[in-house]
Amino acid sequence: MRCYLCALEKRDSDAVAICIVCGMGVCMDHLVREEVEVWEGGYPFPSRKLKRKLPRILCRPCYSVYHED
Amino acid sequence: MSLMRRSLAELVGTFILVYFGAGAAAVTLMISRGAVSPNQFNIGIGALGGLADWLAIGMAFAIAIAASIYALGRISGAHLNPAVTIALWAIRRFPAAEVAPYILAQLAGASLGSLLFAASAGMDAVMVGGLGATAPFPGITPVQAILAELVGTFLLMLVIMGIAVDERAPPGWAGIVIGLTVGGIITTIGNISGASLNPARTFGPYLADHILGGAVMWGHYYIYVIGPVAGALIAALLYDYLSRE
Repeated sequence: MRCYLCALEKRDSDAVAICIVCGMGVCMDHLVREEVEVWEGGYPFPSRKLKRKLPRILCRPCYSVYHED
Repeated sequence: MSLMRRSLAELVGTFILVYFGAGAAAVTLMISRGAVSPNQFNIGIGALGGLADWLAIGMAFAIAIAASIYALGRISGAHLNPAVTIALWAIRRFPAAEVAPYILAQLAGASLGSLLFAASAGMDAVMVGGLGATAPFPGITPVQAILAELVGTFLLMLVIMGIAVDERAPPGWAGIVIGLTVGGIITTIGNISGASLNPARTFGPYLADHILGGAVMWGHYYIYVIGPVAGALIAALLYDYLSRE
């Protein structure tokens, strides 16, 4: 699979990931990897944050929508 | 989350429970003052609307409990009830070292709820409404009251186990289901034992009544410790046994 965003720029590069939101294949230059906190528990137990975080990969357009503010 | 913050959340949750729940019982008595009761079993709650009076009180508890669970459940677990805390400890789902701080916070929150309700509603809430304190109703023996509290808290804890403790339970329903369960239990056994189901819920009004010159009712307190704690323990242990593979 090729990077969709590179293709729009008339460039050709391999996709290394797929955006979890839109499904677009993206190269390393066009992805954003976030670390998402994971909580477990809740009523009737206090919830606690797990030590390890969940990786989450977005393309740059989707990332910018989520972080508009 | 530190134990201090979680205990503070328990205090706030139990405060909400007693201010709005027990407060509704006090207001019902204040509204019905002067009404002619049809019989000795009717002390005022029920004089105006029959069992609907108890349903209204039950709904006040239901909404306060649901609100507390949704607001604070992720922080402290929102037990709001020493019987629940002890039962969760008994099935090894809650650490022993945190039982005493939780119970102290629940008792403090309940006391604060009653004191602030008295400050909000005035001395009639103490002298007429008794701040919603629980006691066996006329003709009900202490043993009968303990039995009613035991059966009522058994149902409450069984529902907590099924809708919240069990990992297979659907998420998001605990607050509304547990709140409505308490509301239903209060409607049925309210006019028998007062339907405390919770040693903290009775402790708060008792202490505030005592401090503010109202009725001194500590002689009944054992009913609201033995019944709820026994009922919650039986339900937790039974569910734990039934759900084991």
